[in-house]
Order: sequence, then C-alpha cells, then structure tokens
Amino acid sequence: MITGSQKPLKEIATLVEPYERILILGCGTCVKTCFAGGEDEVAVLASALRLYFKKNYKMVAIDELTIERQCENEFIQEASFKAGQNDAILSLACGAGVQALAKRFAKSPVLPGVNTTFIGIQESPGIFTEECSGCGNCGLAVFGGICPLTRCSKKLLNGPCGGSCRGKCEIDADTDCAWQLIIDRMTLLGQLDNLATYIPPKNWSTSLSGGPRKLIREDHII
Amino acid sequence: MNSNLQKKLVNKEFVVTAECGPPRGANTAVITKKIQLLNGHVDAVNVTDNQTAIVRMSSIAASAHLVAAGMEPVMQMVVRDRNRIAIQSDIMGAYSLGIRNILCLSGDHQKFGSQPDALNVFDIDSTNLIHTVRQMRETGRDMSGYDLDQAPKMFIGAAANPFADPFEYRVLRLAKKIAAGADFIQTQCIYNMEKFKEWIKQARDIGLTEKVFILGGVTPLRSAGMARYMNQRVAGMDIPDKVIRRMEQVPKEQAPEEGVQICLETIEELKNLQGVHGVHIMAIEWEEIVGQIVQRSGLKKARG
Amino acid sequence: MIQAGQQPKITVFHCLNSFRETPQLFEGCQANIVKMACSSMTQDIYLLKAFEAGADAVIVLVCPEQACRYAEGSIRAKKRVTRVKALLDEIGLDGERLSLFNTMAEESVALRHIIQTTLVKLDTIGLNPAFNHYN
Repeated sequence: MITGSQKPLKEIATLVEPYERILILGCGTCVKTCFAGGEDEVAVLASALRLYFKKNYKMVAIDELTIERQCENEFIQEASFKAGQNDAILSLACGAGVQALAKRFAKSPVLPGVNTTFIGIQESPGIFTEECSGCGNCGLAVFGGICPLTRCSKKLLNGPCGGSCRGKCEIDADTDCAWQLIIDRMTLLGQLDNLATYIPPKNWSTSLSGGPRKLIREDHII
Repeated sequence: MNSNLQKKLVNKEFVVTAECGPPRGANTAVITKKIQLLNGHVDAVNVTDNQTAIVRMSSIAASAHLVAAGMEPVMQMVVRDRNRIAIQSDIMGAYSLGIRNILCLSGDHQKFGSQPDALNVFDIDSTNLIHTVRQMRETGRDMSGYDLDQAPKMFIGAAANPFADPFEYRVLRLAKKIAAGADFIQTQCIYNMEKFKEWIKQARDIGLTEKVFILGGVTPLRSAGMARYMNQRVAGMDIPDKVIRRMEQVPKEQAPEEGVQICLETIEELKNLQGVHGVHIMAIEWEEIVGQIVQRSGLKKARG
Repeated sequence: MIQAGQQPKITVFHCLNSFRETPQLFEGCQANIVKMACSSMTQDIYLLKAFEAGADAVIVLVCPEQACRYAEGSIRAKKRVTRVKALLDEIGLDGERLSLFNTMAEESVALRHIIQTTLVKLDTIGLNPAFNHYN
C-alpha cells in the first residue's frame, strides 16, 4: 500500500484559506489503511477546520465525501457533483490521487492534504514500514525477500557497510540494517554462500531515474 | 607499477600511511601545512572525500595539490555523492593529474553531515567501484565497454571494518572485495586487538592475506572523553573498557601521551602480526603527532 | 473570565461502569451526558463534535486501566484523547479543555471533584473561543 500522513492542521488551513466552499475528498483504500485520509479522517479534519475557522472569525462551508479510490475515473466521477458545488477540493488521497483529480476536475483548484511517503506494509497495528521503491526490475529472489535498494540506507547490493552495528543502521537506532536481515534470512534458508557472488551495478533505467513511467496493456484497451 | 605505495608493498616494506582532511574552503595553505607535518614520515597520505558528509574541498583537487607538492596521495572516493558517469570521469581525471592510488568507499550517510537535505546518489556501491577501477586498469575499457584513450591504472584500496557487525560475515565481505579487485585494505582503527587478531586469523585461514596487502588502522586517543565518545557514537567503533579505563586513570594533561602510548603498543603488535603489511595512522586534526608516532615506533626510515 | 450568569457547558462521555449521576453533581454548569457501552467507543470525531456543538470542556470517564470489562477500552480511549488534545492545541482551542479520568460509578466524591476541578480550569482558560469572541 501507499503510505502517507496528513499535513499539519495549520498548513492545511493556509492552503484552503482563500476559499469559501471547500470539499474534503477522502480515499477509501491506501490512505484509509494508514489513517491519513479515509472517511473517519475526513470527518475529523472537517470538524477541526470548522472549529479553527470559527475561532478565527472566518466563514467557510466544508463539504465531505469519501470515494473508494482517487486513482480511477470510475470512482472519481462520483465526486463530480460536489466538485462542481465547491470552490476547491482538498484531497486526502496520495499524490497520484490528487493529480488524477486535478486532471479530471481541471477547473477546480485541487489541494493536497496528505504528504505521500512510501510503498510499504503495516508491520504491526499502527506501525508502517517502507519496503519497495519501485525500481522496475525486482531482484528480491537474490536477497532472501529483503530489498537492499529500499531498506539499506545506502542501496548497497554487496553490503553491509562498516556502519552496521548490532543489527542497526548507522543512521538511526530504530532502523534495522537490511544487510543484517538479509544475512540472517539467507543463513536460515541455508543459502548464505549465494551472497559471495558479486552483484554488478544496478540498471536504473527501469526506475524513475529513466523518466516518468507508463504501463500500457493493449489487451485491456478497446 | 605506477604507484610508489604499491612498489613498497610489493618489496615487502612495512608501510606507513596517514590521513589528510581537505579544508572547508578553497584555502590551499591548510593543505600545505598538513603536507609539511607529514612529509618524510609516511609513504602515502589518504585524502578524504567529504568525510562524515561535511562539505570540503574535493578529494581529487586536494590529492592533485599533494602530487604537485611531491607527496603520494591515496585519493578516497565515496559513492554517496556521484553517479557512475561522474565516478568514471573523476577516475580518469585523477589519473591524468598524477594520482595513482584510490580507496573505494561507500561514504557516511548524509543525515549527520552538513547537508542532511541533500539527495544522495549510491548509484553503484563500493564493491562495484572497486570492480570498475580494476576493469579500467585491466581491460582499458570503461563500464560501457568503450576503449579508453589511455586507461587509468590505479592501485586499488578498500576499507574493512573487523569491528562492525555482523562479525561472522566480515571476512566473507573482505573476500568479496578482494575478488572484485582490491589490491590493499585499510582497516578501521584498532583498539580491540583480540578481535582484530581473530579477524585476521579468519582471513589468513582462507588465504586472503596472500591476496591483498592489509594495513591496520590506528588512531591515537587524546582524552578519555574522546574514547567514550567514539565508542558510543561512532558506528563500527570498538574500544574495550580496559582502554577507556587507561585513558581515565591518567591525569588530564597526560592523557594524550597515554593515547600515544596505546597507539605505539598497537603498532608494535601489528608489526609482528602475520598478514599485516603496514599501518594507517588516522590522527584526526592532530597531524603533528604522526611524525612522533612514526619515530617512536621505530618505523622511521627514509620515507616520502 | 466567565461572566456572571454564564453557565459553562460540559459534555461528559462515559462508559457504563465509570459513571453514575448524583444530585447536584453538575451544580454551576450545563451538562450533556453521553453514555457509551464501552470506553473503546470514544472516537476523535465525537469529541470534536462536542466542541462544535458548543461544549466548553469535555470529560471522558473510563474504567481503571486493569478493570476494563472489554480489556483494552480504557487504553484505546486514552490514546485517542491524547491525540485529540494535541489537535485542539493546533486548532487553538487549548487541549486543556479535554480530559480523561479513570473512575468507577460508585465514586461519587471523586466524580464531584472532577467536575469542580474542570470548572476551576474553565475559569482560567475561558469558555470555548469558537463560540465566545472576546474583543
């Protein structure tokens, strides 16, 4: 899932300040799962903003709606009516959703209420971790299912570095050393010898470095 | 062989290298001063590359200044700040400026440096870098397979840290770097001689000490505070309690001398350790002490 | 700060076992009481809605931590109250307006004390600034 966290209230208030009628549009998929932008979060934000503006003598009408996903037209069109009724849309979706809305509702200012961060998982209730950076050429088979490009702070393919200490990364006591994890996993799998093989430089042309990417499936295009 | 450091190691000399951090500015006088302090005492001088991610004059430029002054640099190159295009370009440029030794490193993460908001690179890792430099030397080609108009032929170094985790894997990593093309190794500074001996024994047991020249790293401690700080805050540093206690038990003014004493004892052990071919003295911002250490350890001959 | 004749509005959220109303408990204020089956029903939105409805202070009463009938209710309630207090600070309403106490229904003296303390606090921080604009 894509993870994000809601922007601080003051930052959001500044973004929506120029408008009198605001639609807060939530998303029921990734951002709901990480408690940033689902219908519950939309309701709380709407209430908080109403109180904030009331306290500051500002008249503002806040509308609320949550759709299943903001990355597909099928769901975005459900918001058409409310989009037309309001002066601006504050989207609590990930950056992709915000941009999709901006494409479809070209005449509405679309503002981001969430800081999108990473592709990750819910490690345990309330804790989310970054796992994948979308390199476009997955080599997880070589590394025992642990991605060194994402989880090693230095993207080492032939790690670890000299800063690995007690299983933690040099940058943070809370960050696991990915290479310690890889070594432990490969040892468990009886495949530690595989790590003696030299891994050549990564071909980054399939990643964002090669330019914004597109996926086209002819079999799904009519 | 283009590198004097290499010539001496091949001739079975016990070499001495030191370290020089470039200035945080364009002031070459700083480099000149450090050269004066080290001249005649050491066989080569490492020039650091934006060490601890603090912006300094570039390693390639500072190394070129050393060459101009008649000193042999070991240019350190980290993969944190440059992609493979810039890296290959800099290797060729360095060679053209008379630089003959390169130490291939990952680089400290920028989070604690002077520019934590920078985008880091890590396009290739330090092992890839070793491989690239060797490939240029042995095949005369760059990473894309292009036939270079005069290939750089560097003496290739890598770092090893016997004190980082996971310990069991450290020797395997050393083997990997040697297989990729490392000619010499400089280790993290040694205070835990037991652990170092264990590491080098493991390396010896699988024949690695025959394939690469290992230089043991040493850093003289100046105070008990420095010892405690390095042990707690520097990743991959191992300073045993008995060393810290030695520093704590002497009066403050005598601490530097105690630190030098410990350093000399370490060097003495290294001289007698099979598989160790030299010592790398990292006297951070204390270059003056290097000459004294070289003298008192009995390593001073005609050097430089 | 509270003008003569003004009665502060206090909303009390409580779980079944943590509160029982007694005579004169709310003397000096207007109380709005919201009963929940368990303190885990405490949700951010309800707390904020209470302030939107004009509450000057909101009190959440839950069972003592080891005594929650449904195990984690009071712990969850506390975490959410902590979060909403911070949000109230960001809004500019003052997180002090919201508090959580661990009580049992029989503890009428403790309950009285909580209400009194809240009224004293309101005397210092004033009524809900979204509804009372002081010039």
